[in-house]
Amino acid sequence: MKSKFLLLSAFFALYGLYGCKDKQIEPEPAKEYGKVKFNFTHLVDGLPLDKDTMIYTNAAGNNYEVDQLMYFISDVTLHNSDGSTKLIDGWKDINYVDIDLPAKLSWSVYDDIPVGTYNSISFTFGISEAKNITMMYVNPPEVNMMWPSILGGGYHYMMMNGKWKDTANVIQNFAFHLGIGQLYHSNVINTDSIYAFVQNYFNVELPNSTFTIEKDKTRQIEIIMNIDSWFKTPYVYDHNYWGSGIMQNQPAMQMAKDNGFDVFTTGLIQ
Amino acid sequence: MKKSLFILVGLLGFSFVLKAQITQDTIKLTPFEVRDSILKKVPYLECKILKEQLDGEDIRDVGDYLRTIPNVSGVRKGGVSVDPVIRGFKFSQLNVILDGGVRVENGCPNRMDPVSSHVEAEDIENIEVVKGPFMLKYGPALGGVINLVSKKPHPYEKFEIHADALYGFETNWNGQREHISVYGGNKKIYFLLTGGYRDYGNYQSGNSDGHDTTFNSSFRKYNYGAKLGYSPKKNHSIMLSYNEIHGRDVLYPALPMDEKSDDTRMIALDYNVVDLSSIIKSLDVKIYYSDVDHVMDNSHRAGWDSKQMVSVVDASNIGGRAEMGMQIKKHKIFVGLDYENIYKDGARTMTMLMMGTTTVKKANLWKEAKTQNIGLFAEYKTLFSSWELDAALRLDYNTANSEDTLKLIKNEVEYFNDLPSNYLNFSFSLGITKEIASGLYVSLALGRGTCSPNMLERFIKLMSVGYDNFDYLGNPQLKPEKNNEADLTLKYVNDKIGSFYLNGFYSYVQDYIGAVMLPSSVIMPQTAGVLGVKQFINVKSVGFTGVEFGYTTAEKYKWGGSIVAAYTYGYIPTVTKYIVTGGSVTGDTVLKNDALSEIPPLETTVSFFYKFLKGKLVPKISARIVADQRHVSEASYEPYTPGFALLNFSVKYNIVKYVSVAAGVNNMFDRAYYEHLNRKIIGTTGKLYEPGRVFYINVNVKI
Repeated sequence: MKSKFLLLSAFFALYGLYGCKDKQIEPEPAKEYGKVKFNFTHLVDGLPLDKDTMIYTNAAGNNYEVDQLMYFISDVTLHNSDGSTKLIDGWKDINYVDIDLPAKLSWSVYDDIPVGTYNSISFTFGISEAKNITMMYVNPPEVNMMWPSILGGGYHYMMMNGKWKDTANVIQNFAFHLGIGQLYHSNVINTDSIYAFVQNYFNVELPNSTFTIEKDKTRQIEIIMNIDSWFKTPYVYDHNYWGSGIMQNQPAMQMAKDNGFDVFTTGLIQ
Repeated sequence: MKKSLFILVGLLGFSFVLKAQITQDTIKLTPFEVRDSILKKVPYLECKILKEQLDGEDIRDVGDYLRTIPNVSGVRKGGVSVDPVIRGFKFSQLNVILDGGVRVENGCPNRMDPVSSHVEAEDIENIEVVKGPFMLKYGPALGGVINLVSKKPHPYEKFEIHADALYGFETNWNGQREHISVYGGNKKIYFLLTGGYRDYGNYQSGNSDGHDTTFNSSFRKYNYGAKLGYSPKKNHSIMLSYNEIHGRDVLYPALPMDEKSDDTRMIALDYNVVDLSSIIKSLDVKIYYSDVDHVMDNSHRAGWDSKQMVSVVDASNIGGRAEMGMQIKKHKIFVGLDYENIYKDGARTMTMLMMGTTTVKKANLWKEAKTQNIGLFAEYKTLFSSWELDAALRLDYNTANSEDTLKLIKNEVEYFNDLPSNYLNFSFSLGITKEIASGLYVSLALGRGTCSPNMLERFIKLMSVGYDNFDYLGNPQLKPEKNNEADLTLKYVNDKIGSFYLNGFYSYVQDYIGAVMLPSSVIMPQTAGVLGVKQFINVKSVGFTGVEFGYTTAEKYKWGGSIVAAYTYGYIPTVTKYIVTGGSVTGDTVLKNDALSEIPPLETTVSFFYKFLKGKLVPKISARIVADQRHVSEASYEPYTPGFALLNFSVKYNIVKYVSVAAGVNNMFDRAYYEHLNRKIIGTTGKLYEPGRVFYINVNVKI
């Protein structure tokens, strides 16, 4: 009986030793993170925007100037070379840019970004339908981007305000505004005729946006809006044709949306 | 001014009409405020302010007046309705009640109407303040109890009728208050009718820094009520009370909206028996109902033309309590139960007028939210040798639910849900007092108060209810806070030397209700001018510690004085600080042993008086010195507050038996200052200053 006890004890002791060994879990390598900061730059014909000055000519031959430019980008996604993605939404997922507010020309992202090599950056220009909620902003400057409820609600994706010289050389104001479009019965531009809304936000893939994230370091990435691109490819946008305001002109907004694919490029990555 | 004089003359005239029915009631003009009940042998700090001490004081707001008690401060958001704070505990961490059990649920999420604003000073008979979680018979108490006891009629041998009238005027605000009460009765039936009116303009801060500022702080309030008592037989009494108090256009520069109207109604029925048997010495039963209709908007603000906010809240509280007092030899036992049922419902309507269109959004603040609390309590007191023992315990069952439809889930984190919560809370206190020499007492009190989260902390949706510029979101799954506190007190009483006390306390609060910022990707704020959204959460633990000292001269002399000093230190062992850059949160860091926000600094008050004409004429001068508050919350970006010193002078004169006058000047040197707990002016980083120099006069007629 005593020998059986000793044998069993030895068995359990050995099992315990091996068992313990088997159950040892390899510690997961600690994840390492860095930070990212986006800097927003606005160019016309490759040069920094000189606002309030009528020195530009678009592809349609319109002389024009840009006085105000405000827009939203949202759901910025970093595409890792290993196939994973990092959606930036840890603190905010919608970012407002305003050329008149220096604080709104950069975005120090709250999210911790896993170290690694990233092939590209993509984002939504404007705000997706699910997130574009009327009166979600209550403070300026974002609150000033409100898009009238009767025209679809939510917020402007972009307000570009400026002037152009019409065919009679008279300086006219233009409000190149993008937001939710409307479809009107019989093309009668009257709010009573609206029968459907069109979401005009679109996805942007930034070309040449490869970068790396290093541990505890902040990668600064310049995102450039080439303003002249809104007016030239694939369609030539003519202010004389589309007139001053396009908030209730879905074909004009559709053209802007179509032209938006190459508006953004990547600048300095440091 | 003419109107004021007319009212004054009217009141005096009315008073003198009743003069024919004068009885032996006299005006007792107590010349000096003994701020602490040094003579009481309770093992904790209890302060009782009597009617005689309130008479003649310049009290435009009860909460404001409570700040004169050591280690009691207040949160000022406007000209009135200062919200009391005891040793850094505030809001529902304090059990603030009327008449020993009537509760009023504030309608305003921003606490424009704390309980102390639902009673006017002229209607108060006495104020009882207990510091710490020791007095449990009035309900769950975490940081203290404030019991505001209103005047009550009493039986008379034969029919009598009396009247009191008061007129008060203050410069700076151009504020006036009028109050009248008529009371009387006979052996069986007795009554009290009261009514009051207050109309105050905007006040100016002092100009000691070279300029004064006028704050939009005007308010108008009126109240009326009636009490009817009936004694069916000896030692039995029944009293029915009904009171209404109304506020109109009460401005709060430190809040995003002003009070358009507040209509509060309270009804209570009390039944009281004494000496039921040789053991049962008392039986008190009370039932009550209170209802608050609160409307606030931003119509007095600059942005009204483009953005209109209107909030309407209905809050009610129904409940009651029963308490039986027994005595068996040296053993006193009180047992009882209480119950309250709070209901709250309200919505905010936002209207934006932009680009020629109008957009309206309606969102609920509370949606048919309910909280019920039923409690059982017991107190035991006994004497043995030179020892006195006080013990209390309390068991509460608290349940809350809401008809909210909001569900906030992101990345599998559930921020807000509609699940009900139920808690069984246990509280107790134990204290001993030992007379170690003649007149010298030492007391030790230990207590654990457990208090469930309030309606605001559980269910509020996006209102800027904190001291910082954030919208707050409730958290239905908050756990109760528990305050584990020890108080050590030394008291000395001597007929010739006077009285003094020295108290030290330490509180270890578990599951303290704080707040944490929520990402804008989770939820956006809804109040203009705020920086983001914070949600109430339980913090594992925080600590409070402090000391308090008081000395008063003996009452037997013509001259007298007092000195009181108090200090509280609050800290949080671990807290996350969010780094804000360019208005956006860009990172966070963990801080160790950061200060708790809204903790008052060290302060002391010294007073002297002299009784002339056998005590009929009593001038008094007092100085209040408040230190800088540099121990501020780094995590909350709380700014430091500079110290200040104030000098006040008053004189009370009992002209004739029926007429007394009190006059004085507060903030004699027109000092520009603000208390650490004063809120910021909304949309700015500047604090709401306290009033500058104020001259006042109160005329009191009592027949």
